[in-house]
Amino acid sequence: MVALLFSACADKSSYVKVVDDSIKGDITVERISKRINSESGLTELQVVGENETDKYMKLRYRVVWFDKDGFEISSIQTNWTDLPVFKNATFSIHIVAPNKRATEYQLFINK
Amino acid sequence: MKNIVKITLSALLVAGVMSGCADKTERIDMNNDEGAQVMGLDYRDFNEAASKAVQSMLQSGALDKKSGDRYVLAISRITNDTMQHIDTDQLVKKIRVELLRSGKVVVTTAVSANGAEDAMSKQARELRNDDEFNQRTVQKKGTMVAPDMSLSGKILQRNVAMDDGKQQVEYYFMLSLTEIKTGLAWWEGETVIGKRGSGKSVSW
Repeated sequence: MVALLFSACADKSSYVKVVDDSIKGDITVERISKRINSESGLTELQVVGENETDKYMKLRYRVVWFDKDGFEISSIQTNWTDLPVFKNATFSIHIVAPNKRATEYQLFINK
Repeated sequence: MKNIVKITLSALLVAGVMSGCADKTERIDMNNDEGAQVMGLDYRDFNEAASKAVQSMLQSGALDKKSGDRYVLAISRITNDTMQHIDTDQLVKKIRVELLRSGKVVVTTAVSANGAEDAMSKQARELRNDDEFNQRTVQKKGTMVAPDMSLSGKILQRNVAMDDGKQQVEYYFMLSLTEIKTGLAWWEGETVIGKRGSGKSVSW
């Protein structure tokens, strides 16, 4: 059972999604935090989850960023990035938006 | 007549068999390539190294200019210290593109460790004494912008023979971002990519 608990600052157009059904029962997305870095002006995103199984998993994630009007912003982050997830442990993904226009996101986790 | 038909049918059969045996060329889906890993470096490794380097740079705050303006970045020497024939631009270009998109940095092509990447900035200034050109359209002296920062580094390869006959290849992507004014490295990053495979594999 995947519990997607969105933080108060996350809105409907942004989300985190586990795309592979076979791992939906294995990992839990527990917290999604978003802030704007006062120095850089860039949006920062942190997703904290937990591997509830007794096995190490090598997952992947990708992020698609959008501007305030919903237009996609090109970024190298749309490529899959490895995400090591240790057994019975929490994991976190910390990402900085590719530029100041990028405010909304769609983060996909896959095996 | 029968012979002609037989020969024609045989030829068609042979052609059909041959075309069936030929390996079909497929275009790689660069966005979701699930092809087997190779012992050498491929585009997936460069994507990963570049992505991690850019994320680390943006998170470090090293590119946040107090005035909110952009830093001018020069590309210094990126050494290929592997056994492979790599054009280090495979890594550097991805980093440059992403940094430019960030709005934090603009890269100069007029200065680099290997000479100007685009010689035209200098060559176009040689038109100053050419009467054929409207001198008002020729760039004036002192208009080019010198770099604030420099990106340098190396890609290193280390081969390790395993006890079971397998081979382990480690690739180190090491990068430094130096403030030219002080010579101090404001950011440094290292991404390690390791591969383990047959000892018969050649990683160059």
